[in-house]
Formats: sequence, C-alpha cells, structure tokens
Amino acid sequence: MLLVRAIIRPEKRDEVLYELSSAGFHAATVVDVVGRGKQKGIKVGGIVYDEIPKIMIMMAVRDEDKNDVISVILRVAKTGPSGSFGDGKVFITPIEEAYTVSTGKKGL
Amino acid sequence: MKEIIAIVRMNKTGATKKALIESGAAGFTANKVFGRGTLVKDDAKVAVRKQELMSLASEEDKETTELMIDSFVSGASLFPMRLFNIIALDEDVDKIVDAIIKVNKTNYNIGDGKIFVLPIADLVRVRTGESGEAAM
Repeated sequence: MLLVRAIIRPEKRDEVLYELSSAGFHAATVVDVVGRGKQKGIKVGGIVYDEIPKIMIMMAVRDEDKNDVISVILRVAKTGPSGSFGDGKVFITPIEEAYTVSTGKKGL
Repeated sequence: MKEIIAIVRMNKTGATKKALIESGAAGFTANKVFGRGTLVKDDAKVAVRKQELMSLASEEDKETTELMIDSFVSGASLFPMRLFNIIALDEDVDKIVDAIIKVNKTNYNIGDGKIFVLPIADLVRVRTGESGEAAM
C-alpha cells in the first residue's frame, strides 16, 4: 500500500477529485496547506509571496494502482499544454498497515 | 519508529485524545481535514442512514436536506474529519491502533474513518537536538 500526497492548485480541487472518482479512486482526504516551491514563491512588484495557498490530496492506494492515480492527477492538475510553475508536486510514501475503524479490519 | 495517521469523526476528537493518553502516546498533532471514503455500493446501508437523517430534517427544508445527503453519498461534498499524526515506537503501534478503533467505532457501519501506519526514518527533538528513539 502507498500513501499518495498530491499538492495541487486550489482551483483544480473539484476537477481532480471528480476525475479520480471516475477513474475508480473515490476515497480521498483533502487538506488546505500553504507553501512555496523551487521558484521561491512569486514576486509581484516588490513583494514576495512565499506562502502560496495549495490543496493537499491524500490517498491510500494499492501498489498496482499507483501509476493510474498519478497519471490522473498529472493529467488533470496541469495548467496549459506543457504545464506551468506552481502546478504542484506528488509524493509517494509506503504504508505498512491500514485499518478501517467501522469494521476494525486490516487492509484498504 | 512509526507514524500513525488516524482520520476520525470530528466529534470523536475528545474521546480519541483520552484514548491516546491511556495507551501511553500523549503527544500528537491534529489537523482539520475534509475527505470521503470508499464509494458505498451497498444501497441498503445508505438507505438506513439516509432515513435516520431525513427524520431529523424539518418539514419545510426536506428537499434541501435530501440534496445535501445525496451530495455526500455521491462524494461531491466532503466530510469534515479530524486527522491525528501520532509518532510511536514499533511495539506500541498495535496497542494505540486498537485503542483508537475502540473509541471511534459507531453502530452506523460507515464513515468511522481510517488508520494508516507509516515507517519513519528518523526524528529530531528541536530543543536538545537529540535524534532517534531518545527524541521520542
């Protein structure tokens, strides 16, 4: 099992969640976050904005579904034909165990 | 060392905090998050919950309530949940997970949350700079 953490633009939230659901990956957790990337924020006039609001989508997926989930996120969260700065990042971490509280059962 | 990510109902925050103290993991970080679970394909399960919620709705806004419930069922609306990050020693993980499951279980059968256990490479205490298990 893997934990996919995708940091994307806030305006892409609904679209990404909808496309993930259509692709069969319904379960997700959404967190409001702020952050900056490699470009050290945005400079507008003399002011640097380096706490840019973003959305973090967390999903637990099976190992074999990893590439499908990532391709959906990469396709939908991209802005413009070749993408642009600030479109976000996707991080993958291993999950050793998962439990469902309602049933108390192990596994996704 | 392990990181336990527990996503639980908002109104179970107090009970979860108490359970964590009792199971020996007093420290935690919590966030307000929004989420949805696996799409429930069992219509009977949804119908029971829907009926319960509809009985609470007042007569004049039955339609709005129904629309709202449907949007939650379809996943268009996200449920507010509380996300706990807990760092624990390997041998304590089972005890903590069991304690969280015990207090968060309801008789609704759906929507009680998820618990994930992730490995952690290292941790450092900012105050002293010590790392590894000494920083727990």
